[in-house]
Amino acid sequence: MIWYTLHRILALIPVLLVVAVVVFCLVHLTPGDPALVILGDNASPGDVLALHQQLGLDKPLPEQFWRWFAQVLRGNLGHSLFLGDSVASLFAQHLKPTLALAVLAQSIAMALGIGGGILAAYRRGRWADRIIMALATFGLSIPGFLLGLFLIFFFAVHLRWFPVVGYKSDGIGLWQNLYYLFLPALALAIRIAALLARMTRTVMLEVLSEHYIKTARAKGLSEWSVLWRHGFKNALIPVLNICGESFGSLVTGAIVIESVFGIPGIGLLIVDSIERRDLTVIQGSVLLITVSYVLINLIVDLTFGFIDPRINVSRS
Amino acid sequence: MNKAPFAAALLLGLLLPLAGGAAGAAAQTDRDAVLNIAYGNRPGTLDPYLTTNNATSDVDRNIFEELFVINDKFQPVPELVESYRVSPDNLTYTFNLRKGLVFHNGQSLTADDVVASMNRWLAVSTQGKANLPGARFDKLDAYTVSLTLKTPSLITLNILADVKNIAAIMPKSIIDRAQGDKQPVTELIGTGPYRLAEFKQGEYLHLTRFDGYIPRQEPASGLSGKKNAYVKDIYFRYITDESTRLAGALTGEYDLVFNLPKDNIDQLIHAPGIHLYAPASGGSLITYLFNKQTGPFADIKLRRAFNLALDVNSVLVAGYSDPQFFSADSSLGFPQQVDWYSEAGKPFYNQHKLDEARALVKESGYHGQEVVIIATKEYAELYNLAIVAQQVLKQIGINSRLDVYDWPTVLQRRQDPKNFDLCALEFSMRQVLHQYPFLDSRAHFPGWSNSPDIDGVLDQIKQAPSLKAARPLVDKLHVLTWQYLPVIVLGHTQPDIIAVKNTVQGYDDLIGPILWNVRVNKQ
Repeated sequence: MIWYTLHRILALIPVLLVVAVVVFCLVHLTPGDPALVILGDNASPGDVLALHQQLGLDKPLPEQFWRWFAQVLRGNLGHSLFLGDSVASLFAQHLKPTLALAVLAQSIAMALGIGGGILAAYRRGRWADRIIMALATFGLSIPGFLLGLFLIFFFAVHLRWFPVVGYKSDGIGLWQNLYYLFLPALALAIRIAALLARMTRTVMLEVLSEHYIKTARAKGLSEWSVLWRHGFKNALIPVLNICGESFGSLVTGAIVIESVFGIPGIGLLIVDSIERRDLTVIQGSVLLITVSYVLINLIVDLTFGFIDPRINVSRS
Repeated sequence: MNKAPFAAALLLGLLLPLAGGAAGAAAQTDRDAVLNIAYGNRPGTLDPYLTTNNATSDVDRNIFEELFVINDKFQPVPELVESYRVSPDNLTYTFNLRKGLVFHNGQSLTADDVVASMNRWLAVSTQGKANLPGARFDKLDAYTVSLTLKTPSLITLNILADVKNIAAIMPKSIIDRAQGDKQPVTELIGTGPYRLAEFKQGEYLHLTRFDGYIPRQEPASGLSGKKNAYVKDIYFRYITDESTRLAGALTGEYDLVFNLPKDNIDQLIHAPGIHLYAPASGGSLITYLFNKQTGPFADIKLRRAFNLALDVNSVLVAGYSDPQFFSADSSLGFPQQVDWYSEAGKPFYNQHKLDEARALVKESGYHGQEVVIIATKEYAELYNLAIVAQQVLKQIGINSRLDVYDWPTVLQRRQDPKNFDLCALEFSMRQVLHQYPFLDSRAHFPGWSNSPDIDGVLDQIKQAPSLKAARPLVDKLHVLTWQYLPVIVLGHTQPDIIAVKNTVQGYDDLIGPILWNVRVNKQ
């Protein structure tokens, strides 16, 4: 297990190297000069040149890459060209709202999706099954930003149940934080809940037709026990796989929802940085996101071994 | 859209705060009030010398003070200066500073702080470099400084009072640190009515009342006069999505909402609990900018042909959809800028003479070269103007191509004269015409104007004994601009309408929000 974990962590190095090279090249080959964005419309060519020298943008591209990458190897992702802060501290600052949003969205999605999927499988072919599957199809097909705007205008503007923005950090306490985050988390959760409901239903149907389920029922066990202890536990692995993947995408892909609900997360940081051509922030953030994504996948893989001892991850 | 109810509601909105303000506002004013502002753009840097960005100046004007500021007639009047005199040759200004003022860190304001701040501002800010080249500040005694110019300039005090590139006075120690690091100022310490409490990148910026503030005693006018910090805390909350800002205005979550979507203004007119405020200043000049260095539009005849062909009203409607958002006007100055507004260019404006335009194209050296119109979809109005330009060019027999990029790419590509021939561009309202970079060839602004006549008249205005005496020169500048066509002026945008909660009284605006003297009533 330890060897497997080490092996997976070592395998990160080539991934990061490739990502570093690709991101650096993409960012630097994209037109758009940060110096012009910083200095504004009235800047003279002399001002632009001076700022290029100050930022090291006048050096050849390979030299710029090596300077940046040497710093990255020492654990320094550089400083934002615009904000002065270090990329690591900016990332950490913006990670908190994104993580809070992702955890809440994942919890809502799991509750709705797994619960709905089990119910649909249990009530196969009946009204409950049809309604849940119709909702799942709707949830998969509606774009996130549209759902977000709908939620704002219905629950925040019309009913006044929730605030229009999705995050507040100025010392409001956990419950207030959850209250602010609920609508954006719901907007994000719907798609994952839909995916989870369909997957859970399919796997549960398969499991419920197995002989050991019939045996369990024949033994006179309660339906609750049959469903959860014997049914769901054996259907958990593919469901968990989707949970892991979706959590990774929640952390990295909440850009639109963060923008709609004004949440200062990683998505907004990257969009802002691209708009401003803040090269170091784009490079550093994409690298850190890659690491997070790979680590989340690793944790999910390792969890399989704990849930089902038949799966020996160290040999897989 | 029916405009009558809109106009009536807007008028009512403008009058409501005045009526409410008079009716016992003092008795109800909440001294512990928090003012929540929904604001669309995040500031990159808060160093006022380095940027002309509204997101920076709208915040910084509450923290910092300048030697001079402009009043509601756009005239420069003293702020940190008690009195001043100008030498007979107009080359030396002597400023006596107000005594007993303190910075937010408790340190007293002296001539050393002013000299350090202003010399950095002269060296670093685009306004200082462009309009006061070679100027220098010196200390005469603890509360007296002098400004020495290379050449006399009528607009010196206007430039010192610049609204965008604020000539903020900071403690000398902070300036020295910034100079040493060659970095922007990160610690924001001024003498203004509010101090920076916290800046949470991407989320909010928190200002809080500075209890040691000593206001001037003249009545408030524009950015000048007495400032009272009635509200205790001000939060600029950065909400990038305009639909979310609109929703926040409708629910009353924010006291002031900026950058509202134009298409939804009607929705706010009848919304309960808020009124709309239409600022009297702060729009932009709407222009078509030519590349005059190379390509087809280097030929003045072709620029004139394009101008002859334009039906300005339909161009503006295509760009801005409704006349409530623009005014068709040939002047470089805005109507309220009495010293700079001129109708001298009117005969050249909005001619819509297609046959004459076609004849002029034939007469020019145009042989079917493709005109490149550079555009971005990030600014929908400007993109629409670019599309219209393409149609107009087609009507007069000029081939064109639309090159569409994101905004930073447009900024970069237009640095090279080979990359574009025409673009639609807005220039924020400026105090003096010299601040528009497309006029003076010495600014080397993309478009590359090269008119010794325009350069000359700009200098003559600076050297005139007074703005009143310079009046004929301002008219002459307009005529020369319309003859040479560094840009085609299409009109002025109306400043963005602001949603104000009814509990907020006394909100005013001058090329940006004025947040001192704003009261929030107890609910």
